[in-house]
Amino acid sequence: MTALIQTDNLCRYFYPSDEIVVKAVDGISISIEPGEFTAIIGPSGSGKTTLLHLIGGLDKPTSGDVMLSGQNIAQMSSGELSDFRRDHIGFVFQAYNLIPVLSAEENIEYVMLLQGADAATRKKRVAKTLQQVGLSDYADRRPNKLSGGQQQRVAVARAMASHPDIILADEPTANLDSKTGIALLDVMKELNETLGMTFVFSTHDEKIMKRATRLIHVVDGQIELDEKKSS
Amino acid sequence: MLTLKLAIRNLLRNTRRTVLTMALIGSSLTALILVDALMLGMLDILVNSITKNLVGEAQIHRVGFRDNLDVDLYLSETEKIIETLDQDPTIAAYSERVLAGGILSSSYNVATGLMYGINAVSEGQVTQLPDAIIEGQYLTGKSGEILIGHELADLLEVSLGDRLVITLSEADTSELAQALFRVSGIFKFGIKGVDKGVVFTNLDQARGVIGLTNEQSHEFALRFTDRALATQPGTAVYQNLNTSELETLNWLQLNRPIASIIEMSKFASLIIGSILFILAGLGVINSMFMSIYERIYEFGVIKALGTRPARLAGLIMTEALLIALISCVAGLILGYLLGSYAAEYGVPMGDYQVSGIAIDSRVLTRLEPYQFIQFPIYVTFLTLVAAIYPALFAAKIVPTEALQRSL
Repeated sequence: MTALIQTDNLCRYFYPSDEIVVKAVDGISISIEPGEFTAIIGPSGSGKTTLLHLIGGLDKPTSGDVMLSGQNIAQMSSGELSDFRRDHIGFVFQAYNLIPVLSAEENIEYVMLLQGADAATRKKRVAKTLQQVGLSDYADRRPNKLSGGQQQRVAVARAMASHPDIILADEPTANLDSKTGIALLDVMKELNETLGMTFVFSTHDEKIMKRATRLIHVVDGQIELDEKKSS
Repeated sequence: MLTLKLAIRNLLRNTRRTVLTMALIGSSLTALILVDALMLGMLDILVNSITKNLVGEAQIHRVGFRDNLDVDLYLSETEKIIETLDQDPTIAAYSERVLAGGILSSSYNVATGLMYGINAVSEGQVTQLPDAIIEGQYLTGKSGEILIGHELADLLEVSLGDRLVITLSEADTSELAQALFRVSGIFKFGIKGVDKGVVFTNLDQARGVIGLTNEQSHEFALRFTDRALATQPGTAVYQNLNTSELETLNWLQLNRPIASIIEMSKFASLIIGSILFILAGLGVINSMFMSIYERIYEFGVIKALGTRPARLAGLIMTEALLIALISCVAGLILGYLLGSYAAEYGVPMGDYQVSGIAIDSRVLTRLEPYQFIQFPIYVTFLTLVAAIYPALFAAKIVPTEALQRSL
């Protein structure tokens, strides 16, 4: 199967001072297939979030390549990366994912508006994704009228609605209680299994690790273990 | 539409800050309108003091007369000038005068002064001399009448009916001549130099004292059908009555200090406006940055989702534009209301003088359409200029850095 994401000797170094070099990602080469439910795990400061940001085109590597859907995003300009993220990647962050002045449905619609989707398509997809995350009755609510779990589900719905190649989630359950976190993960897992949607997580949450089909252990910016589980 | 929707809702997020920013910009616009209207009001007083009090809107002299008011440099064959003025449709009125410096003697004191010989009727059509009489009466044409400034009257210790002797040089011969007058009226123009150093008498009698014929005089003061014509070089009278012997000058050319003040007043509005808008601009930048710093994480998310930097900058600029437009509406309404009130009832400024001209204690403001068209455009433009820096800052936000903040 053709890899959806492929990194080749990917490095991201930070230079806090002339003498100090922080190797957040140090020569990582991985390949992620479509439909995977992958968790990048590791202790705090291991480089998992940086790796996720590099894969998602939010950050540029010091060296190495990131191929996503056949395109090397490491070589793209800032504007090209914006368009690429808009069209190919869905993001779910730790918290405060949503634009506070927009309702749930408007938040979901946002990326589609950036894509230039017509009104009918947007309406149809918003209704469908809200239903898929179980929030059809909350379409008009603004984020401050939604619980943390509901907000994260809206963020998942927004990520899905733009029909991305992959959804990248950075600690999506970190600010949720255990029950709400499980409910959110169940939604994402179901989408993965029923729609074949590819998810890559950066996490140290046991609940995600348990559901993941692949665990990439990152320590000191390098892959320590790449563990595939049978689903 | 998305950007507009976001901008409107963002402004409503922190209504207190938005209202304060709008109040800052709106009040700056109001202040600018009022300052400009006040300056126009003060200029009106200055210009009226000149054009309606003695100087008129333009004057005709023999070349060189104005240098030292030499009585020998009189206009001869004035009937030709009168004929030209009578045929000029832009001239509403003119007053023929003779002028001579001399010594004014009363029973108690002596002073130097300038005697104006005027035609009572035509002078009243050009200047407000009849209205400036505070005691006694205006000239009636009778021999021996003289009007004296109130400060000069105090100096000479004369009052109505008192005798006044003028001693001066005759034209051409330089022989000393004397004439006796009785004070028939005391005037107050509010112009120190005039109130303290000028007397008016009837033209024919003045001609007789100086030794001029009926076709000779020193000066014509003009009033145009429209005052604006006075300062337009193309106006007919300047073309027709500027020769090697004649000079026809407008009121600005006749009053260089006032012309300078008027020029300066234009810069004063500009300077005051600039200061106001630098302050307002800094307020806008501050407010915008506060708003951006509060939303850095949000902007990180928005950029991560694929929003282009230009679109984010556009959002900030749209917010600034909305602030500017709403501020302008409020500022215009307030400016109009306050300006109209001040135009009706005046602004108390206290008594003071500008270039020897007394400014009334209340200045009536003058509102003009350009204040309500140009100023809001400047305000909007400057608000947008002030918003460029915050907008560029927002556009350059790096998502990975923004996402690490404010959680």
